[in-house]
Amino acid sequence: MNEITNDNDKCAIALEALHHVIDPEIGLNIVDLGLIYQLDFDEKTKIIYCTMTLTTQFCPMGESISDGAKNCLENTFEGYQININLTFDPPWNADKISPEGQQFLN
Amino acid sequence: MFAAATSGLAKNTSFKVVLPFYFYAALCFLFASILLIFSSAAFTQHYFHPYTLTVTHAMALGWGTMIILGASHQLVPVLIEGALFSDFLAYCSFIAAALGIPLLLYGFYHFDFSVFTKAGAILINLAIIFYLVNLAVSMARSKKENVHAIFVFTAALWLLITTLLGLLLLYNFTSNILSNDSLYYLPVHAHIGVIGWFLLMVMGVGSRLIPLFLISKYHNEKLLWWIFILINLALIIFIFNFLFSFYPVINFFCVGAIALAIGLFGYYCRKAYQQRLRRKVDGQLRISLLSIAFMVIPVVLSIVLIILSFYFVENNSVVLAYGFCIFFGWITAIILGMTFKTLPFILWNRTYHHRSAVQKTPNPKDLFNSRVFNMMAVAYLIGFVVFLIGIFGGFIYVLQVGAVCIFLSAILFNLNIFKMVIHKPDSK
Repeated sequence: MNEITNDNDKCAIALEALHHVIDPEIGLNIVDLGLIYQLDFDEKTKIIYCTMTLTTQFCPMGESISDGAKNCLENTFEGYQININLTFDPPWNADKISPEGQQFLN
Repeated sequence: MFAAATSGLAKNTSFKVVLPFYFYAALCFLFASILLIFSSAAFTQHYFHPYTLTVTHAMALGWGTMIILGASHQLVPVLIEGALFSDFLAYCSFIAAALGIPLLLYGFYHFDFSVFTKAGAILINLAIIFYLVNLAVSMARSKKENVHAIFVFTAALWLLITTLLGLLLLYNFTSNILSNDSLYYLPVHAHIGVIGWFLLMVMGVGSRLIPLFLISKYHNEKLLWWIFILINLALIIFIFNFLFSFYPVINFFCVGAIALAIGLFGYYCRKAYQQRLRRKVDGQLRISLLSIAFMVIPVVLSIVLIILSFYFVENNSVVLAYGFCIFFGWITAIILGMTFKTLPFILWNRTYHHRSAVQKTPNPKDLFNSRVFNMMAVAYLIGFVVFLIGIFGGFIYVLQVGAVCIFLSAILFNLNIFKMVIHKPDSK
């Protein structure tokens, strides 16, 4: 993940929760896969902005992965609205997989 | 409760578009394997036999083409990074092909080229035109073009040429519109279909999907362009040589170019495999990679056929083995592997995409029975080898044993498809 967030404590909780969202094809969680780019927390409007990507733009599993991230954050942060922003700039590549993720794949 | 929003999500092809193609193809594989048992004796005779023609077209159109059409409606958006233009055209394509194929097969089986057989061929051509238009508009609307998409589009163009030529040959049976009989043109019809459609399509999609499934960093677009040029050049030269001159030496060049293209594709896959991050390769991908090795057998057999043609000898068993290795070998192997790499995800998505991270969900690969998959793979490999021995030996009993094994693999394939389709989520 690009270490961009406006609340490091909440971001750590969110990332911990997002570890439970698994890419069904690869079997690896979306955090270690490097799909989460940014997490921002707007305390005034109670909105969490999650900027993330997919391994490929028209990934057939895209909806389930983004729905998974949304469901997971909703359950973790009750009372917050979740705004998932899918971006493909920069596009995902294998270099974004964390060392833990690489170890899992090995 | 607040409403949640997701932006930037691309629209994928609906599973409703894709599934009918898969079901139809699975049933056609079963049908072709049953026909193989009851028509084994035809594989000891001349290759231009009603039963052989029926089995070949059931495999080429009903099995290979239908499943590739279905999968490509799902995968083309991944390749071109743009949505499929029209679900309606995809449905039209399915309906036209689904109606046309049985009519054509019935005609071949009874060696009856009446109006129904011709109507079947016309419907198949319509199906391909619908597919091609859908593909062309989808590509034109997409922001990004790449080598994989060019492979797929060119393959679809060759498919249309194949089916149009097939229609022409059908009319030529009843009214002599060509300068030679239809049997004379069969090699052109068959090779445009096998090389132009199947080989280009498999390479175009495989070169994108294999690195993607292996999570490989390897990509070599220049190499893929060389493969593309070699295949198309070889095919065009083969057609012109066949129609206007017929020098067997030129066919050697064509086979050499195709062999080189297959070798380069094998090299591409090997590099992707070596540079993969995902160390454990599943059975489905393994059988798909094995199919690349299966490509070598028809190449070797085609060299034998060219050498024989120098001496004006036509060996039926080599011709039959050549066709069998293409349709029951290479094409079937890649489909058996790739079906269980794509269909479980399509069906998983249908059932679980709203439940992701809400409740515990199974893995897509848990939707089918892996033991049944392994048994299917073993039955298929035994059947393939035994039937091939039967073709060369001319032993009807051996052919029947091989056909029964292939039939078993078709049953197991259909069982797993059925298991996936009726899968219901755990209500707990």
